[in-house]
Amino acid sequence: MIEPAGLADFFTIFFSSAMVILLGALYALLFAYARIRAMPVLMPLAYLSYAGLFISTLFLAQAANLLSHPLWATVVVCMLLGYLLAPHGIWHLCVGTHAADAEKDAVVEVIPESMTKEA
Amino acid sequence: MATLGICDSANLNGGQKLAVKYFTVAIVLLGAQVLFGLLAGLQYLYPDFLYGVLDFSVNRMVHINALVVWLLYGFLGSVYWLLEDESQHEVVGLKLGNLIFWVLTAAVTVVVLVYLLVQVGPGTESTIWLINEGREYIEAPRWADIGIVVSVLVVFYNVAATFNKGRYTGIAGVLVLDMLALFGIYLAGVFYTTNISIDQYWWWWVIHLWVEATWEVMVACIMAYGLMKVLGVRRKIVETWLYIEVALMFGSGILGLGHHYFWIGTPEYWFSIGGFFSALEPIPLVAMVVHAVFDAGARHAKNSNHPTMAWLIAHAFGNFFGAGVWGFMHTLPQINLYTHGTQWSASHGHLAFFGAYATIVIAMFYLAVQKWRGDVWMSGELPGNGWKWKWSLGLLNLGMVGMTVSMLVSGYVQSQIERAIEGSSWIGYFAAQSHHWFAQGMWWRELFGVMFALGFVLLVWDLMTIGRGEKRTMVPAESEA
Repeated sequence: MIEPAGLADFFTIFFSSAMVILLGALYALLFAYARIRAMPVLMPLAYLSYAGLFISTLFLAQAANLLSHPLWATVVVCMLLGYLLAPHGIWHLCVGTHAADAEKDAVVEVIPESMTKEA
Repeated sequence: MATLGICDSANLNGGQKLAVKYFTVAIVLLGAQVLFGLLAGLQYLYPDFLYGVLDFSVNRMVHINALVVWLLYGFLGSVYWLLEDESQHEVVGLKLGNLIFWVLTAAVTVVVLVYLLVQVGPGTESTIWLINEGREYIEAPRWADIGIVVSVLVVFYNVAATFNKGRYTGIAGVLVLDMLALFGIYLAGVFYTTNISIDQYWWWWVIHLWVEATWEVMVACIMAYGLMKVLGVRRKIVETWLYIEVALMFGSGILGLGHHYFWIGTPEYWFSIGGFFSALEPIPLVAMVVHAVFDAGARHAKNSNHPTMAWLIAHAFGNFFGAGVWGFMHTLPQINLYTHGTQWSASHGHLAFFGAYATIVIAMFYLAVQKWRGDVWMSGELPGNGWKWKWSLGLLNLGMVGMTVSMLVSGYVQSQIERAIEGSSWIGYFAAQSHHWFAQGMWWRELFGVMFALGFVLLVWDLMTIGRGEKRTMVPAESEA
């Protein structure tokens, strides 16, 4: 079911795990910032962060022996898809919830029109 | 009319007066947690220190029990604080609520005194009922367990009945159900079985589900209320996101419980369940960064309480790093095999508890002080440029980060030497404990613990003095819709 990590892989696992979360947050941050400030120049940086996350996940998968079992390989795929798509999903929820509120209130007037569209 | 600049109970409603009592005990218990943590830390460095007088096992137990109880007091206080405000109705059964507060506080005092006065003795059935149940983190004897359940049940009654008679908001609905779960899940902690695997199975329901599910939901409710009060965020948005957060939390968090079932003798399928949900658990946390950026960009509101706002921000970061980064680094069973129960776990536990819970309760303390002093000004240009709250914020956070990193170093040594090289043997345990890197980590942990303690002293001083004699009134945040 599980193949324990080797001693030599400890640091790789700790470091790549931390990088998965940190780069995931950086991707989400840049993704959201690029849209809310209408700065499409930041979007490639967001996806560059995701690419870093992708590589970190592969390092983690290799070091933690995740690719040797179908279940753990599925977990890796789910992680890659989850980190990629979740910020998109949350963005749509943000736009949806705030747009409904904007109909009777002007608070979201400061939101540029561009951010309500897919970049 | 509000009395400005002095703590006047006339400035508070009934629920808030009760909340102040809960907050006061919470701060005292936080002090106890810090004190006993420092003593336990010293015993890592000098194992003979207080041996036979106040053993490490007792220090550690009081340190952790104080954590659980001060946070519980902080949360119950926060619930009473927002109850009348939110329901637009005075608290139903306030006298009962007050009575239970005193009974619970007396019970906590007796339990701690028994911990300290009866440290050694026979382990019999009566010990479980009267002295110490012997279950890590929830050592309170059975009578106290029952007391906690009854107390939470009374708070549930207060909350449900008050919302029922007053305004039933979205926050109300989530809070009522959560109080019911807070009562129900703790029932898993009031019995004991002789089969250690079965016992641990239920024990984790309290440690993981009670703490990481019901407390998280309470935090979400408090955060929702806090954002409306401090930033004037619209109720509709806050409540919509409360539902979304609760759904995400439960979607990944409940079965994330499985990562505690890896090594307690449960069936092998818990590797799959625990591993799968633990790997995906941080995704909602990371994705919520989008929401934070969206909200920050969509509104440019000024906040009405700088210390509260600063602690809410500390909460967001602390939760992300403590629960997200530090949790995920050792959650997969392939590595958790070597790290569980070492200083790695302690490192994660310290930062996660502080980031996810302590920070938001401290934010509520500042919100309470502001109202208690008659809704005084607590934004910029405070006397002394607000040095006390800024320094306490800095010392507490730096102290906690320092302790976390120190324990990380020690835990790394343990996982390598004790677990991986020596195969969790008796010799391996001592080889790791006596390794100079482990010892250095423990020294740094103690030093940063002292820094944290200084931050705590400053925090108490600030809470007692901030807004005193202030003549300016608070500029209210935008009113809720």
